[in-house]
Amino acid sequence: MVTKAPPPIRPYYDFSMLFKATKTFIDHHNSTHHQLTERLNSNHRATAELITRLYAKQLNHAVVLGEDLTEALPGFKTFNPSLATCKGCTVRTIINHKERLKAAGFIIKELHRGKAGIELWINPSIFTPKKLSTSPDHLHSHSSHIQSILIDKVKNFPPLVQEQQEQKNNNSTVDMLIPSEKGVRLSAHRAHTNFVTGTRQEQNKNTRESRPSDSKKQTRGAKKMRQNELESAFLLQLVRDFWAYARGILFTELMLSPAEEAEILNHIWASVYRKFKIKGSKKDLQGYQEILYKRVDMVSRYLERNPNRWVAPPHLYFHPDNKRNGFNKTYQWFIKQETLKREIRNQILIQKSEQEWKDHNQGKGIHKHKSRLQLFRIQQQRLSSYTDECLLKAYEKSLQRMLLKPIAI
Amino acid sequence: MISPNLPSSSLTKCIVYFYDGNSCTFYSLDKTHKRSKPNKALGIRRLDKMLLLGKLKGSWETAIIYENLLNGKEIAKYKNGVRLF
Repeated sequence: MVTKAPPPIRPYYDFSMLFKATKTFIDHHNSTHHQLTERLNSNHRATAELITRLYAKQLNHAVVLGEDLTEALPGFKTFNPSLATCKGCTVRTIINHKERLKAAGFIIKELHRGKAGIELWINPSIFTPKKLSTSPDHLHSHSSHIQSILIDKVKNFPPLVQEQQEQKNNNSTVDMLIPSEKGVRLSAHRAHTNFVTGTRQEQNKNTRESRPSDSKKQTRGAKKMRQNELESAFLLQLVRDFWAYARGILFTELMLSPAEEAEILNHIWASVYRKFKIKGSKKDLQGYQEILYKRVDMVSRYLERNPNRWVAPPHLYFHPDNKRNGFNKTYQWFIKQETLKREIRNQILIQKSEQEWKDHNQGKGIHKHKSRLQLFRIQQQRLSSYTDECLLKAYEKSLQRMLLKPIAI
Repeated sequence: MISPNLPSSSLTKCIVYFYDGNSCTFYSLDKTHKRSKPNKALGIRRLDKMLLLGKLKGSWETAIIYENLLNGKEIAKYKNGVRLF
């Protein structure tokens, strides 16, 4: 009987593990280097975490795509400006931070690929794929390592940041990680968290102050990017919907390759939507879309009226430079049609009001018990609801015709 | 001016099988002028025009437009003057 070999476990780079590994690495580095020019401050830490996060995302994506990363990890491909945008700082800052991280051994190699950006190799101790289940021994060794680092941090250096006694967090778990029975030589005031003489070299104090602002910036940037993506997806959908509608009505039997279709969509974007240079709300754009559909319907009616009529093939019909027989000319048709519709509506309304006056004079109709002023008010209210200047002017003229006539006679 | 090495620069090609049993490959001209950006759709349209309206009209049985790559995909197929896809 042949037993099936278990499928290879796909590595997954969990950010929380990587974050801890990065933190451990930097803390360890800081504990062994005491010169300020060698140490990694909170900003370097933030850059390292950003790089770790993006690299993990890239690796996980590669794993999903089926790449084999068991032998050697690929480098982190990125661009200095994109890192700077993500972090909300300048490119120079990113370069400086990378230099410091390289000196610390966090970045082991960097390659410049010109236009294709840069490629970074991160210390393999951080990016070793972790097993999904962790044994208690592993946890124990890990916690003991953290403990040793925390113990090392107790130094008699002046604080980098002026510490306020009120700001101390008595609930902080950091203090609880250090077991008192280990025999660490602490100052006498240790239990009361009074570090006037024995200051803990708390790198985290710096990070706690600067990190929220960093993360805020990043989330704000991410939010903005997501919003932009959503907006562009909405606009793209408008263009696609329009093309689908126009194709269904005007170019039913046309067969097009993807390249040709892409060209037409580009033309529509440039000529029909004017590259979306005119900004408007979603509602405005949907209104414009409705107008475009009406214009397509008008073209189809125009074609139906005479079999000899034709429209140019779509790559010409929607071409932005086509001034002769392009789709843009239908805007004039639409304006003309709408003006005509409005004029007819106004005429009908005026005729109705005139009929009411006639009936009123003869003592007929629904307004026969009302005075002339009341009838005038009713009509004026009704017509002003259309918010059309021309209609009101025409109404005035009709009133003059209807009411002043008998006096003139 | 037409590029002297069209097979290597074209984006698409068209293989035509004639009624007389011959076959021939035509390469697309994707530029509007010498220095213009190649336009794939333009090349396809020109091949289409050659097959349906140009000098080859009525003389071929099957014509297939491919991407001009190694193992390039089929873009369009014609049979007896009718485009199938």
